[in-house]
Amino acid sequence: MLHCLNSNASGSEMTVLERQRATIKWQHNNNHHQGYSSSSSPSPSSSSSISLVQVQSSSPACLAAGAWPKLDNNFLMGFTSSPSSGFPLPPPPPPTTSAASFDLNSAISRTSSCPLPSLAEGKETTTPNNKRKTDKFHNTKVVASDNDNKDKRVKVAAPNDSATVGKKGTQDCGDNSNKDNSKVSEVQNQKPDYIHVRARRGQATDSHSLAERVRREKISERMKFLQDLVPGCNKITGKAGMLDEIINYVQSLQRQVEFLSMKLAAVNPRLDFNMDDLFTREVFPACAASFPAIEMSPNMANPASYLHFNSSQQIDAGINPQDISLRRTISAPVSAPETFLDSSCFTQTLPSSTWEGDFQNLYSVAFDQARAASFPSQLFTGLLEPSNLKMEMEM
Amino acid sequence: MRNQRSVKQEFLRKWITGLRRYSCDEKKNMSFLERKKAIKLSADIAMASTRDKTTRWSQALIANASSSGDTLTGSSKNNSSRSRKKMLMMRRRRPKVKSAKKEMSASCIAKRLAEKRTRKLKNLLPGGESIDEGCLVEETLDYIESLRAQIEVMRYLVTASQLIINPYP
Repeated sequence: MLHCLNSNASGSEMTVLERQRATIKWQHNNNHHQGYSSSSSPSPSSSSSISLVQVQSSSPACLAAGAWPKLDNNFLMGFTSSPSSGFPLPPPPPPTTSAASFDLNSAISRTSSCPLPSLAEGKETTTPNNKRKTDKFHNTKVVASDNDNKDKRVKVAAPNDSATVGKKGTQDCGDNSNKDNSKVSEVQNQKPDYIHVRARRGQATDSHSLAERVRREKISERMKFLQDLVPGCNKITGKAGMLDEIINYVQSLQRQVEFLSMKLAAVNPRLDFNMDDLFTREVFPACAASFPAIEMSPNMANPASYLHFNSSQQIDAGINPQDISLRRTISAPVSAPETFLDSSCFTQTLPSSTWEGDFQNLYSVAFDQARAASFPSQLFTGLLEPSNLKMEMEM
Repeated sequence: MRNQRSVKQEFLRKWITGLRRYSCDEKKNMSFLERKKAIKLSADIAMASTRDKTTRWSQALIANASSSGDTLTGSSKNNSSRSRKKMLMMRRRRPKVKSAKKEMSASCIAKRLAEKRTRKLKNLLPGGESIDEGCLVEETLDYIESLRAQIEVMRYLVTASQLIINPYP
């Protein structure tokens, strides 16, 4: 294989197609790819490039590691010359050349970080980004020419892989200085822009990287919720920027609470929040129409009952003859005269189904339709909360 | 998402209760600052108790309030001590291991930025120092929601109180 490669190359420059075929055959023999039978039929077209990519992805490190040193210098030179002709990539004069360089580029850059099922999309995503791969191509090429032993590189690359897979970095490390390991890892680090899932390497450290990935995805999902919650976060995509916004928002909310409490303290010299007074005024916009079912029962006569709205509430208003704990579900049936409250209020399910509309509406309706004395009991019995209402964090 | 209305209602209810308890205890007239502190504290505690100790920040809030010797916490004191113990146990769970050498790679810079900010966020959140990152976002979400509800309720009260004093012309 390699001999024929070499022999071919020794004379004139191989055509790109021949090179492709040679590499594919070489890959076949050396990598024992699992199940990529599509790669077994290379043809001089984009399908060959696809197969090339697939084959090479199947044994990721091997490509970067092994492909280069085994091939002749001419092979490399063929590609080194092609950069001059084919790079920057999009409209180079010989399409096959550029195609091959594209493919090899994509193959190189996709070493070790693309999982097998995402190959197709990876191909799509990588080809438009070929422009960026110029540097990487050069780097890996340089690297390849240094090292002769493919096996050593594979072994070296593998643990490095799993280490770098766990990295969060979205940009490459940037120093092309010396090591092959760093080159391979650098190539991987540059990938995250267009490959969204990191590869599994089947190594012992895999569990860490998997767990890490799961954790990261969980965090990013929650951040998306936060994006909806925090105003103005839609345009920001980076984690640090979003965290900044969140911090600012939380700080502003806390400051608002401080300010409002100060205002309340100033307004109210005695800390007595008289609900009666509060609701006798036209405080809230009248939304009475939304509550047609609410009428005050004439039996309600306990003005001070709202004071005791803890678990043992004594409302002798006729609505709830029994003990009603506002924090528990109501089991006591509604006694006769009250029509304003649906019996659904007192079922174990959401009483808020009756109290649709805003928080304000509760007060406003109650105010509009009832005497101030009786409404509070109505209000707070309407605020029954079965315990299942609370704590539904659907995160 | 939780039912915001019910949350607000519950919050208001608890808040008023707490305030009444407060004002009943202190027969004397409180200064402005004292009042403000009482209002804010009772509001915070009411807000935290609407979560019924399912979130860490609420536990921490109540614990802090009770540790400062507030009378409002009352019945929640037992729970808070328990929750505090739990928090202390959780505190040492994930020590951050920082590498000694500082690489200046872009990814590392980005990571450091994010770390700084998460630390800041943790300081903002009550009881947030002992939370790991995964839960941090959850807690922040919940906290933001509660803060919002609290602010709305307070605003209603403010407008109502103001209108009592200066009714509509």
